[in-house]
Amino acid sequence: MSKNLRITNSKFIDQTSRISFKFDGKTLYGFKGDTLASALLANDIHLVGRSFKYHRPRGIMTCGSEEPNAIVQLGNDSSMTEPNTRATEIELYEGLEASSQNCWPSVNFDIGAINNFFSPFIPAAFYYKTFMWPASFWEKYEYFIRKSAGLGKSPTKPDKDIYDHKYLHCDVLIIGGGISGIIAAKTAAQNNLNTVLLDDKNNLGGTTLFQNNECFKINNTYSSEWLKKEIESLNSFKNLTIKTRTTLAAYHSYNYLLARENLTDHLSLIEKKDKIRQRLWKIRAKKVIIATGAMERPLIFNNNDRPGVILSSSIKKYIDYYGVKCGQKISLFTNNDTTYETAISLNKSGVTINSVIDIRDKSNSSIVKEAEKLGIKVHWKHTVVNTNGYKRISSIELMKLSDDGAGVVGNKSKEECDCLGISGGWTPRVHLFTQSGGKLKFRDKDNIFLPDKSESEQISIGSCNGDFELDDIIKNSNKSIKEFLNLNSSDYENLEINCSKETDKKNIWLLPSNKPLGKTKPFLDFQNDSTAKDVKLALREGFKSIEHVKRYTTTGMGTDQGKLSNMHALGIIAETAGVKMGELGTTTFRPPYTPLTFGTIVGRNVGEFFDITRRTPIHDWHVEKKAEFENVGQWKRAWYYPINNESMHEAVQREAKAARDSAGILDASTLGKIDIQGSDASEFLNRVYTNAWSKLEIGKCRYGLMLNEDGMVYDDGVTTRLDENHYIMTTTTGGASNVLSKLEDYLQTEWPELDVYLTSVTDNYATVSICGPNSKKILSRVIPDLDLSDKEFSHMSFKNALIDNIKCRVMRISFTGEHSYEINIQSSYGKSLWEKCFEAGKEFNITPYGTETMHLLRAEKGFIITGQDTDGTITPVDLQMDWIISKKKYDFIGKRSLYRSDTIREDRKQLVGLVTDDPKEVLEEGAQIVSEANKKPIEMVGHVTSSYFSPNLNKSIALAVLKNGKKLKGQKMFVPMKNKTINVTITDTVFLDKENKRLNA
Amino acid sequence: MFLINCPYCGERDQSEFSAGGEAHIVRPKQPTELSDDQWAEFLFMRKNIKGVQLERWNHAHGCRKWFNMVRNTSDDKIHAVYKMGEKPPIK
Amino acid sequence: MLNYNSPIMDAKNYSGIKISVTESVIKINLRGKNRDFITKIGKELSIIPPTDPNISSGNEKLNILWLGPDEWLLYSNDKIDFKNNNSLEDRLFDQISKVKLGSVTNVTDHWVMINLKGDNVFELLSSGCPFNFNDFKNSKGAVTQTLLNHIDVIIHNKNINDLNLFVRRSFSIHLWSWMNDSARFI
Ligand SMILES: [Zn+2]
Repeated sequence: MSKNLRITNSKFIDQTSRISFKFDGKTLYGFKGDTLASALLANDIHLVGRSFKYHRPRGIMTCGSEEPNAIVQLGNDSSMTEPNTRATEIELYEGLEASSQNCWPSVNFDIGAINNFFSPFIPAAFYYKTFMWPASFWEKYEYFIRKSAGLGKSPTKPDKDIYDHKYLHCDVLIIGGGISGIIAAKTAAQNNLNTVLLDDKNNLGGTTLFQNNECFKINNTYSSEWLKKEIESLNSFKNLTIKTRTTLAAYHSYNYLLARENLTDHLSLIEKKDKIRQRLWKIRAKKVIIATGAMERPLIFNNNDRPGVILSSSIKKYIDYYGVKCGQKISLFTNNDTTYETAISLNKSGVTINSVIDIRDKSNSSIVKEAEKLGIKVHWKHTVVNTNGYKRISSIELMKLSDDGAGVVGNKSKEECDCLGISGGWTPRVHLFTQSGGKLKFRDKDNIFLPDKSESEQISIGSCNGDFELDDIIKNSNKSIKEFLNLNSSDYENLEINCSKETDKKNIWLLPSNKPLGKTKPFLDFQNDSTAKDVKLALREGFKSIEHVKRYTTTGMGTDQGKLSNMHALGIIAETAGVKMGELGTTTFRPPYTPLTFGTIVGRNVGEFFDITRRTPIHDWHVEKKAEFENVGQWKRAWYYPINNESMHEAVQREAKAARDSAGILDASTLGKIDIQGSDASEFLNRVYTNAWSKLEIGKCRYGLMLNEDGMVYDDGVTTRLDENHYIMTTTTGGASNVLSKLEDYLQTEWPELDVYLTSVTDNYATVSICGPNSKKILSRVIPDLDLSDKEFSHMSFKNALIDNIKCRVMRISFTGEHSYEINIQSSYGKSLWEKCFEAGKEFNITPYGTETMHLLRAEKGFIITGQDTDGTITPVDLQMDWIISKKKYDFIGKRSLYRSDTIREDRKQLVGLVTDDPKEVLEEGAQIVSEANKKPIEMVGHVTSSYFSPNLNKSIALAVLKNGKKLKGQKMFVPMKNKTINVTITDTVFLDKENKRLNA
Repeated sequence: MFLINCPYCGERDQSEFSAGGEAHIVRPKQPTELSDDQWAEFLFMRKNIKGVQLERWNHAHGCRKWFNMVRNTSDDKIHAVYKMGEKPPIK
Repeated sequence: MLNYNSPIMDAKNYSGIKISVTESVIKINLRGKNRDFITKIGKELSIIPPTDPNISSGNEKLNILWLGPDEWLLYSNDKIDFKNNNSLEDRLFDQISKVKLGSVTNVTDHWVMINLKGDNVFELLSSGCPFNFNDFKNSKGAVTQTLLNHIDVIIHNKNINDLNLFVRRSFSIHLWSWMNDSARFI
């Protein structure tokens, strides 16, 4: 802290508001406007982590989202902690706590660093090769690898923060608020287009915002001054939405994009409270303008990863924007002109520059001349061959390059330094362009991939499109924008632009050293610790595809997706393999561009809103009666109604007995209901159900079974003929919406000639079902003027009725085998009707029962539940329901499939009943059935689909599907369980009241 | 997420639609007269083309109408949409 | 006596947005394919069902929303006493369904009608709805069927910043609490 690394003339840092924060437990100070990285550098902290494989000390290397090293754990509360955040992107706030990752016990003393000394033995794919064999050892290996690797800690408790999603539709979306993005935004907004401008930083302007250099002027002012005025002018447009701190995460086809807006991460702990932390924007844009700029490349040379080695342009941003000196004796190492801007900035701020080491022979541009004029020493045609220092760079060793650039010549010289700025040129950020499906082309001049063809309505402008000179950026952006938006003119036609232009270029992907490659450590992927050696090894071992080399060496597979040095990996592969880079292609850049938190992905779909819930009109009554609920599809259905601490079993036994002994009441409102009208309604039903419908009398109900075209049972339910051309169909609860859309499909596509209309009325009616020997008496009290005699109102018929002058439909149908009624009334009166029935039934101990009891009661009668006793592989014949297949009908859905060679096989699985030898033993649903207890290998011949203890029969009953089951009635079978084998006998599927006497009781 | 031009409602987000597989597979008028193989051809066989394919889609959360689409399955480009019963506008 | 129960009772106010449920409004689903159907409806109600998509027609008493090329939703502006009034449905059923012109189905309680009013209604909708409201917003009478928080809804742009939203009754409580949760952050 003794060193003063902060200069005072930065306009972007508020040096009057000091912020305290903690890093690795130590309290430090920074200012408002700092990132965690800039504040650490101001505190002379470079070492922030250890590398993944060798645990080498690593320091802050960049100032943005491409940061490979400064990956920190945020927060100390185990519920709030967030791993893998980039210190270069975290805005400093009061109370921030961060710690280094990937090191144990501490960043300064790391046990894993022992790998570094063994590193000649850890070549590419070492883990794969070594630990994959023998396979049985993998569990042990994995434990050690994971322990020593470790990429941060996951939070242990639910995330307390609030996240949100929002849709946004616009005419023009501009990604990136640098100079080209600003030009695009203003031009679009001036032409009345609904425009959105996104930038991932906290303010607009990109790097031009702090380009205060005599060599770069627009209309005779600094480019920074000119741009500031342009940014200010954006405020006047109501049709322009600007979102800062917003990162474009994914660019999908049809200009559908996802962006993550950071709303509170920069606020103090108190200010954050109760606010949305991050919002995911789901954007649909008519046109997209990509202005994402370019990333600086590192240089690949021996020991290029020491703390203190920083990208040259980042050093410039730290001094010009944050007012932070990255060192006090800085050396710069480059292959291009932009480093001289850094040199001039440092010089102006009074930082000592040792020298600029430039691999080029010369450069005649004005910016280089300007630097030399300031007395900055340049080593032309030199390279750094080594760096020294463990936790911080202390010196560099340099040598002269040979004429062909492949080797070094002459004597080695040494330069003391505490920071080394490196620059290997620039890489356009084409990630989003390629995500959207765009194809790239290669430009040999400066070894870059550029956007080529795109199917979407989009353009790339500025340096992401390969324009690196200020005048090109402005002129070409302006031209592209005008073409893209069909404009004749813009504000940016006649600007007077002065800028330094780069004339000399040179590139060496892997810089030579005086040592053989095997003895050097030129890092390529800093996060995943892969070196140029690893890539060359992969090629020697026969990997040719770039995607394979990537996976084998893990180059580009870290959380940064290898943004920094993918190009070098490609370059080295191309050189070694002797192919052109343009032919080699690139690896695929996948969304998200930067990692997203799970919270952002999920949004507010947590807790209550995790899944959609549907409630019946009678729901509140079930809640009042403390029913347990079961999820059936999205529905909440009353499962059972425990009284006085009853267990589920006890409650269900009581409910099931009461329903058969006297009366039960069930909320059946969830059943799907489809209103069918039209002159061909009967013909339509003939085609969709297996049985015949034309002769069903008005006022009668009929059970129907619906198949798929493959002959398998799809759904079932009772349909009632209300009038000549008017039916109401019921479907299963879970099948309702699928059945409706399937039927609509047939009407719209296969049978458009039919005059039939379907309307869903599922939610329009509450359905109260009363069953049991006393149900008739109860109904007579609810609807006194309805004639309930068997003659007038027989089983499987329906009546219209009025209850308190409200219309309702009463069906006498039964899913329990008991005498029973279903009353359908408009939903608003459902709860009141239920209460009325309950009141009327009190004298008969009317018992509310839930879905579990309903399932038990129907199983006693051998009634199937589609989806439980069937699974899409069961035909009606398999269910022994041959009686429901009309022999007379020429066709119905699935008919032809019922006599395919496969469906007429005799050994298909068929529905049977099972009783256990021990009547108390209840089988587990899903349990497998075998024919011989001790035969090995065991052949499974079937499985249990429904199983209950029946209180009415006082024994265990089950339904099962069994190979050739029809013919096996009376035979013994076995159900092997974990600790025992249960003996069962195959029976008929109907266990109770085979004669159906109770229906008319 | 596609932007699909429903022939009835206009451009809508893909989440409002459901896909229904290959288009122009007509249900045989007289299934009983078909051999097992002929019926299996209708029931199971689908082309699953890489490239331009004719597909059925349903505007499930909109007008509930089925329609056809010409879509390139390799780049997801939708070349055309057309109503049920109409001929594909391009091939 | 049977009592009327609405799934949602209260109205809520948030910054620039008021949400409330309008009860006892009659709703009828109409379907038909031919010109006679349209003419008959027009004669019976003095409103022609719109044949252009995504719009509505109406008068001071009734609204007819386009749902599809052969489907419409009719709803009343005024409350109806169900215990003494089924005449509209019965009359239409006799005039349309009985004479094979189409179908008439009472969906009064199938849908719950939620009214959204205020400058921020579209902010609320955009937090869970993929539909592009940019043009819809300014066109009075516009209708759309879409998804809100993954739930099917019909939205009728009754007036500027005054919408009626229809949601199936069983989903209404869930959507209602989701809307309230969303409105907190607007
Ligand atoms: Zn549609």
